Amino acid sequence: MLALVVIAALAQWIAPYPYDQMHVRDRFSPPNLHYLAGTDEYGRDVFSRLLFGSQLSLALGTTATLISMAVGVPLGLIAGYRRGVTDEAVMRVLDVMLAFPPIMLVLLILAVTPPSLMKTAIAIGVLAVAPIARVTRSVTLDLMSGEFIEAARARGERLRYMLMRELLPNVWPVLMVEASLRVVFAVLLGAVLSFLGFGVQPPAADWGLMISNGRAFVDTAPWISLAPGIAMSITVIGISLVGDGLREVLDPKVGGRR
Amino acid sequence: MSNPSLSSAEPLLEVRNLTIRYRQDDRQVTAARDISFTLRRGGSLAIVGESGSGKSSVAGAILDFLGPTTEITGAILFEGQDLARLAPVQRRGILGRRIGAVFQDPFTALNPALRVGRHIAEPMVQHLGLPLPEALRRAEIALHEMGIDRPAEVARAFPHQLSGGMKQRALIAAALACEPPLVILDEPTTALDVTVEAQILRLLSRLRRDKSVSLLFISHNLGVVRRLCDDVAVMYASQLVELGNVRQVLERPAHPYSKGLLASRPPLAAASRGSRLAAIAGQMPTEPEPEAGCVFAPRCPFHEPRCTAGAQPLITDPDGQWVRCWKADTLGAWPGQHVAAAAEPTFHRGDALVNVTSLDKTFDTGAGLTAWRLSVSGGRPQLYRRAPRDPAVNDVSFSISPGEVLGLVGESGCGKSTLGRLLLQLLRQSGGSIEFDGADVARLPSQALGPFRKQAQIVFQNVGSSLNPRLSVGEALERPLTLFHLAKPRDRTRRVEALLDMVRLPAAYRKRFPHQLSGGERQRVAIARALATEPRFIVCDEPVSALDVSVQATIVNLLADLRDALDLSYLFISHDLAVVAQLSDRIAVMYRGRICEIGTAADVLAPPHHPYTQMLLASAADDEPAAEPAAAASVAAAHAGCVFATRCPHKLGPVCDTTPPPLKALSVSHAVACHLDTMPNATVPPVLVRLNPQRAAI
Repeated sequence: MLALVVIAALAQWIAPYPYDQMHVRDRFSPPNLHYLAGTDEYGRDVFSRLLFGSQLSLALGTTATLISMAVGVPLGLIAGYRRGVTDEAVMRVLDVMLAFPPIMLVLLILAVTPPSLMKTAIAIGVLAVAPIARVTRSVTLDLMSGEFIEAARARGERLRYMLMRELLPNVWPVLMVEASLRVVFAVLLGAVLSFLGFGVQPPAADWGLMISNGRAFVDTAPWISLAPGIAMSITVIGISLVGDGLREVLDPKVGGRR
Repeated sequence: MSNPSLSSAEPLLEVRNLTIRYRQDDRQVTAARDISFTLRRGGSLAIVGESGSGKSSVAGAILDFLGPTTEITGAILFEGQDLARLAPVQRRGILGRRIGAVFQDPFTALNPALRVGRHIAEPMVQHLGLPLPEALRRAEIALHEMGIDRPAEVARAFPHQLSGGMKQRALIAAALACEPPLVILDEPTTALDVTVEAQILRLLSRLRRDKSVSLLFISHNLGVVRRLCDDVAVMYASQLVELGNVRQVLERPAHPYSKGLLASRPPLAAASRGSRLAAIAGQMPTEPEPEAGCVFAPRCPFHEPRCTAGAQPLITDPDGQWVRCWKADTLGAWPGQHVAAAAEPTFHRGDALVNVTSLDKTFDTGAGLTAWRLSVSGGRPQLYRRAPRDPAVNDVSFSISPGEVLGLVGESGCGKSTLGRLLLQLLRQSGGSIEFDGADVARLPSQALGPFRKQAQIVFQNVGSSLNPRLSVGEALERPLTLFHLAKPRDRTRRVEALLDMVRLPAAYRKRFPHQLSGGERQRVAIARALATEPRFIVCDEPVSALDVSVQATIVNLLADLRDALDLSYLFISHDLAVVAQLSDRIAVMYRGRICEIGTAADVLAPPHHPYTQMLLASAADDEPAAEPAAAASVAAAHAGCVFATRCPHKLGPVCDTTPPPLKALSVSHAVACHLDTMPNATVPPVLVRLNPQRAAI
């Protein structure tokens, strides 16, 4: 996973060719030593495009997740801490958001405005606010029964301290695992959007876009679609493994509570 | 080593050299070491020990509950068969059929989706091959044998509709369904109230007699064991340290650990200010090394170099008592503790620190829309408003003087914790007033409670969750200092260390996290955190209920020392009368939201009593409590009269159901809420003597 991030960051320097350079003579070249993953219909190096694509995908995934965390975590904390009317109001609004099919919602947002990477990220991020807030709230509710919360209230602690010092550090491990899953979803959803033509616009190198372009040539040049597909699978599995790893690393400390 | 046995009668269960090891975080942990004992047919044996002593692992090995990672050596002979060598299929045939089991927590042991009768019928269908309707019919008979009045009704009920005591009765019925010769009970009464515990124990001893069933009883509570068992095995740090007849072991314990365990139980009598409980210092080793010597030596007041010179064998004395201590027959009594007797303080009601008047609390059924429910049971849908609940605290008045400890006793659900939280304004009252140091805090808006919060603090029951797992001990103790500006930043570390010293923890604990501490240490930190604000009043909400007896004694002593050193007032809440009596100047007894008796500790513990106090005392004192009227099983909703009327053995008549009894003063310091003219005063004095034979012997 770390390797993936490094590769994405260093794409500029590792990539044998710029992502949009066309090698007209070597169109549809199968994978070989020059073009590690072959070339596409314009003779662009698929491997280079993969590397640049990883940049886009990861950026999209993390940005979207950061956005949803920034909104969802405070909402969940407050809903779980305050309970009652605040809780009801927040959760019902989020329920309404969950009621829309995700793709429809994103498409709606993107369809009415010109597409851009940032906007895709925001759209996907907004979508994940509800699940993140729900997870935060349920962990918070669980923590609220802990007597250290009541001890803090007996000291007359203020809201800010309660949320930031007593609750958040305890919610954090669960959130990290949840966030890693959200990055996966965001990467996949981003690819789907690009595939449908609403995400990143050509000639930018995006995995979904590449699969979409390669679709027409699956019979003759399967590598054009296959390579980004494999790259995506590796990324998704990698991030999921990191999520599992986080669970392992972060749990023993919480385990002390039993 | 020969097998310690106490009787030549036919053995039903014989455990020989049982050793249980399991892996934990890449370490080999030994839960039980070379355990041998014999349970004869029709007999009853108790295994007693603190948490972590390995007693439940022994039960688990017999029941095959320990999982595949556990390594078990030795033999478990049941009716002549070695269970450890049987194939899993054969073992399943024995479990439930020949060995029944009852566990600690009746609240989670029943599947909430199955009716109670089904739980009892299931083993009969499984093992005896009975058709379900026949099994269900027998289940009702079984429930009736458990002393349940309307067995048919209970059999059709779902678990959540039953009280804890009823659930445990149903579980015992299920364990006995196939009439097994052996029943293993793992702390079956620990989760129950004392009065319910007494009923269950009575039921078990009756069943033992009627059905000639053998019992293997796992418990941490020596008093419970006395009432039910013939023999007792004491376990400490995975070893058997003493084995013998119950009466012998409890009256003349031979092993120092047994002595300490017995001595640290508080007597059921009012204590003077200077009295302290005998305590066992230190804590149980997590990885004991019995080859190197006695595992108890580090905590033993009698220990000498020879104790740690080599492995200690289990030796027997002429009375047939087995003990793992080479000098057992030379030992005296466990050293008691007593601090310089502080003058018994006198309190004047006039200068009260806390003054509570007519306090009420009724939990809302929800405001606005949430109070409405949709019912479809009547055929057509109908909206109705939920009925208001019974008050959790009902017209409670009392006062606490500076430096005074008021004990508050009652069963679970009686409103004692709610009362503690009301006093600290963690909950807002529905009516009444709470004066603290002359100011009515109940009328203050929450923003203005700051100074009050500094003066009044709380210590909780649950040592597992009373500390934030993400904050180090130092951080947790510094927070109150910062919040109330009690120490300059550079003095904080020193102040934290002073606080740790007050609760007798080393200064290095500053850097530890809660999961690195034992239960008793966590409770000490929680006490230090409450002390950090330099309060004058602390609500102690069951502070020792979750702790082992020996640890409990050290915490009670610590609270007593702090009270004397800092002139603190406590509201000490507990369900355990003996613990309350140890610490309190006055005691209030609470039942269903009302105070039914209040007075000095000596007043409340000596007759005459409120009938409910008498029932509590009798249950706590290993005595046969007066039989409750049959209606007690169902919780009546009558609030018109005395709240205790449905369970009262001395009920007068209609007046108890219609008129709430006023609090009558029996003396200057003692008041009882009861219509009886003369309170019952039977059965208590002899109990006080019998309860603590160890002390009587000293």
